[in-house]
Amino acid sequence: MGSSLRPVSRRARAERLAPYVLVAPTVLIIVVLRLWPLVLGVNFSFTGDGELNGTVVGLGNYLELAADPLFLTSLRNVGLLVLLLPVAVAIPGLLATFIYLRVPGHRVYRSVYFFPAVLSPVIVGAIFNLMLAFDGPLNTVLGAVGVGPVDWLGDPGIAMFTVIGVHVWATFGMALVVFLAGFSTLDASLLDAARMDGASLHQIIWHVIIPSLTRTIQFVFVTTMIGMLTSMFGLLFIMTSGGPEGSTYLPEYYIWHQQGQMNRPALASAASTVLFVVMLVVGLLQITLLRRSGRQD
Amino acid sequence: MPGMRLAKWLAAVPMAVLALATIYPLLFTANVAMKTRRDYVLDRFSPADSLRWDNIVEAWAGAGMARYFANSFIVVAFSVALLLLLGSMAGFALSQLRFRGSSLIFLGCLAGLFIPFQVIMVPLTRVLADGGLVDTYPGLILAYVAQFLPFTVFLMTSHYTTIPAEIVDAARIDGNTIYGVYRRIMLPLGVPALLSVGILNTLFCWNDVLISLLIMPSPDHRTLMIGVNSLRGQYSSDIPTFASGVLIAAIPVLMIYLFLQRRIADGVTAGSTKG
Repeated sequence: MGSSLRPVSRRARAERLAPYVLVAPTVLIIVVLRLWPLVLGVNFSFTGDGELNGTVVGLGNYLELAADPLFLTSLRNVGLLVLLLPVAVAIPGLLATFIYLRVPGHRVYRSVYFFPAVLSPVIVGAIFNLMLAFDGPLNTVLGAVGVGPVDWLGDPGIAMFTVIGVHVWATFGMALVVFLAGFSTLDASLLDAARMDGASLHQIIWHVIIPSLTRTIQFVFVTTMIGMLTSMFGLLFIMTSGGPEGSTYLPEYYIWHQQGQMNRPALASAASTVLFVVMLVVGLLQITLLRRSGRQD
Repeated sequence: MPGMRLAKWLAAVPMAVLALATIYPLLFTANVAMKTRRDYVLDRFSPADSLRWDNIVEAWAGAGMARYFANSFIVVAFSVALLLLLGSMAGFALSQLRFRGSSLIFLGCLAGLFIPFQVIMVPLTRVLADGGLVDTYPGLILAYVAQFLPFTVFLMTSHYTTIPAEIVDAARIDGNTIYGVYRRIMLPLGVPALLSVGILNTLFCWNDVLISLLIMPSPDHRTLMIGVNSLRGQYSSDIPTFASGVLIAAIPVLMIYLFLQRRIADGVTAGSTKG
């Protein structure tokens, strides 16, 4: 009797363990390669580099960051990104509105606009290196209307705007698709009612569309911001290498530069920690601001 | 409502211009790739007189893009396969099975979702280096899996949540073990989500620059995107060959886009509607 019970109980035990077996690899990978490095990195940022490797230096790295003009430029550029964020959200939002309202050709636009979003930043950057060359297509078009030529990537006052512009070119299709998904949940009768009442286009956008899409708009704000702070490395890498005169540094480029090129991993860790805090603050701020504006409607 | 109709027609003009601005850069690059160096210097805008593949061949064989392509292909194939396997296993357990600690594990995955790579890149490189995994294929594959697993688990969990518990119960009563349920029921039912997530992960890994640059830096191990950048230095005076390299790196992604556009869009929006 005991021998006939044993396989059953063994099976029962295997069944009890099965959920843990199923999640074990995932847990292991996320803990060892994501959560643990986060702790390790914060710890690491309080130690020294080179000869001081492993020695606690307190806030030394952070003080060095605060005095490093390149790092300060990268933070200033983050500020610029935050300022330009509403534009980067409004463009796909407006385009999605017009596609939703069936502008002539609306079917084609959706696919066309989305297409750069699948390209790697390196490909996009490489293509725009050609487009923005001093005697390239863009300057030729501008020359035809009597403007320029502009040194898009060589002028420290312009280069960062150029890179942001290229980033927006490459990613607005992503936000557009999210907006369109939001529009598909929109109550069409609301829109019809507004039309019947003779509402103008901007009244419709302001009083019908924006209030009904609050959640979508929040989502696009947050994901666009994260995208700007974490996926412009490829563009900087191939278009400017942080130049000219360090004007296009972003924290991610700074971190990579300190770790990979200057062999300053502890300093890079401190910059990582600052970036994490900046992202948390910006993210939380956005969510509270958007919540509040959503409630007012 | 005449005002609205007018506004729509007015919007149509800038939208058409924008569509052109979206397409033209790639067409320009493709055109340059078909030109000889001489033609490019003389007039970079005129259409190439014929489809010349010399530059493509030069970039593929001469400049080593073939090697980079193979590196990318190996790493992406293994990464995506692992992501789908682990993501569907965990997603099934977290959505359909009750066990102690499941909500804590789900929270851990969510936390993993909100840690950008830039924040952990220094210590992660060190952890992988301690395991002797830097500059190896398994190292980069592990780095990609770690990077995109939280997102994959999240989407698979929300997909499997929509499957009624009765299906799992019925299969259990029929004598399936939990692993049997996973293999016979959950994997087949997960196919639509696995396709969407798989395509997105393929794009993420294929297009990545930073992770590959850090984890697999040596010239022999370059992935395609890093290869494009090294091509830039190598062929700075031979723009047509450089443009050909860019085209080679873009073509697989363009294929995916042309055939699977809907699925990509579904994957992108899944987070916004479910989140």
